[in-house]
Amino acid sequence: MNLLQQIVNGVILGHAYALIAIGWTVLLGVARLVNFGHGQMYMLGAFVTWWAFARLGLPYPAAILVAIGGGIAVGLAVQAVMMRLTLEQNLVSIMIITLGFGHVLRGAAALVFGAQPQVLETPPSLIDLEIAGAWVTAQDLLIVAVAIVVFALLRLVVEGGRVGRTARMVAEDPKLAELAGIDVRRVYLGVFAFEGAAVALAAALVAPRTPILTAIGFEEVIVTFVVVVLGGIGSVTGSYLAGLGLGLFNALFGGFVSPAYTTAASFAVLTAVLVLRPGGLATRGGGR
Amino acid sequence: MSAAAPVLEAESLRVAYGGNQALDLPRLALGAGELVGVVGANGAGKSTLVNALLGWSRGRPRVSGRVRLDGEDISALPTHERVRRGLLLVPEGGAVFARLTVTENLAASADRATGRAYTEDEVFALFPRLRERLHHTGGQLSGGERQMLAIARALRLGPRALVLDEPSIGLAPRLVVSVLETVRRLVDERGLSVLLVEQNVRAAIEVVDRLVLIERGRVLAEGPVAAMRDDPRIIQAYLGEGAA
Ligand SMILES: Nc1ncnc2c1ncn2[C@@H]1O[C@H](COP(=O)(O)OP(=O)(O)O)[C@@H](O)[C@H]1O
Ligand SMILES: [Mg+2]
Repeated sequence: MNLLQQIVNGVILGHAYALIAIGWTVLLGVARLVNFGHGQMYMLGAFVTWWAFARLGLPYPAAILVAIGGGIAVGLAVQAVMMRLTLEQNLVSIMIITLGFGHVLRGAAALVFGAQPQVLETPPSLIDLEIAGAWVTAQDLLIVAVAIVVFALLRLVVEGGRVGRTARMVAEDPKLAELAGIDVRRVYLGVFAFEGAAVALAAALVAPRTPILTAIGFEEVIVTFVVVVLGGIGSVTGSYLAGLGLGLFNALFGGFVSPAYTTAASFAVLTAVLVLRPGGLATRGGGR
Repeated sequence: MSAAAPVLEAESLRVAYGGNQALDLPRLALGAGELVGVVGANGAGKSTLVNALLGWSRGRPRVSGRVRLDGEDISALPTHERVRRGLLLVPEGGAVFARLTVTENLAASADRATGRAYTEDEVFALFPRLRERLHHTGGQLSGGERQMLAIARALRLGPRALVLDEPSIGLAPRLVVSVLETVRRLVDERGLSVLLVEQNVRAAIEVVDRLVLIERGRVLAEGPVAAMRDDPRIIQAYLGEGAA
């Protein structure tokens, strides 16, 4: 195995991880909410992209938009159903509801899309490129580019301006935010719509790398969990760096030690970081 | 509406926590350019009253009755809608966002400012201290600075009626007087209508136009401050505070 190729793989994987996790970063950082249906929403995003692209015959960019639209609709629906629990910040019930919701999504997807594995053969995934001796596809470059753009935009939004300010107020004290004239319900709906859109976008871009099944999603949840916690909960920059770090670690560990133990190894790293730096790698946190 | 119509009016306002009736208020009115003090012992129901005006609480009260702002029934509106109509509450305790800087706290109000909003310069003229603390977070401010910022946030939003729940709590006596005098200035200079909850009755009496004395969720006495000054029930309550 060549080191350069592994590093390139790691960078691509890292951007994929960061993109998959970004919805959760906002969810947890802004609204102090969780969504354990995240993995199944990823799965759904992958299948909707496949359906729109391979079945409806839409161009790939249009299929991505269809998936994002579906993700937003699902996100809004979930949040609308559990609004009362959200307003009460009842995390345990929200965890159970979203977990159950994920299973419903999986069952429904199996009925609609069948048990067959599908392959998303997008045009950029068929283009191979050589960069300084390492091989990548145009799809890989697309993942990296979109991840960078999404993170840069999100940082701008969270750090400056009205939207980010509103979000940070709701994150700190939703009750006090009401007295500041903020419609807290709308913020929560917006945050879940973003989560739905972001995970669908991630799926539409990352899923073409592997066959898709209605059973996928578990690994994505684990990755998301590691990235969000390592990055310092709610930290946009932290999540990006943590995604990149985890991608590099997994690629190098998988390439040079053993691909069978990468998940276990990343959990070992997570545990070590949690014990040594409970706030995550970006200790500033607080919605940055 | 006639000119004498109250800016803020509550009718048959009842609040219960579980089976515990915490407030039973037949009527309360706040006129234009009026400063009304609400006083009473700890646990009398003062916060319960002002929170109910906003439809707001950190607990889970059952609230019934009517609240009108400029004659409009706002009882069915969510808190943020009442706020956008100009009914503003500075709640008991910390009313600033501790993780946002002073600048950001004020900008958050400016984001939603109405035509009545005070300008940044007007706010800094009232509270010059805040100008020196712009880059501090709410959490880094002293108790007095926090109260100033909380009131400044409300002014920046644009109040029609301002409700202050114990703005002087925990402040040094000199600061108490300064905060209450500032509130009086808002009323005199801008014609603002203010409902002021204050446990420091002696200090309140110096600035308010009218006083409402609450005990166990009911109005025990009410009237112009000149008449209430000599009310034995006020003297008793005042002495009670003085002894504490
Ligand atoms: N969130 C709550 N849950 C249950 N009871 C409450 C709650 N808030 C206040 N109470 C009760 O209502 C009564 C009035 O309290 P409060 O309005 O806070 O009084 P004050 O502001 O005059 O000190 C008290 O008996 C208090 O124990
Ligand atoms: Mg109180």
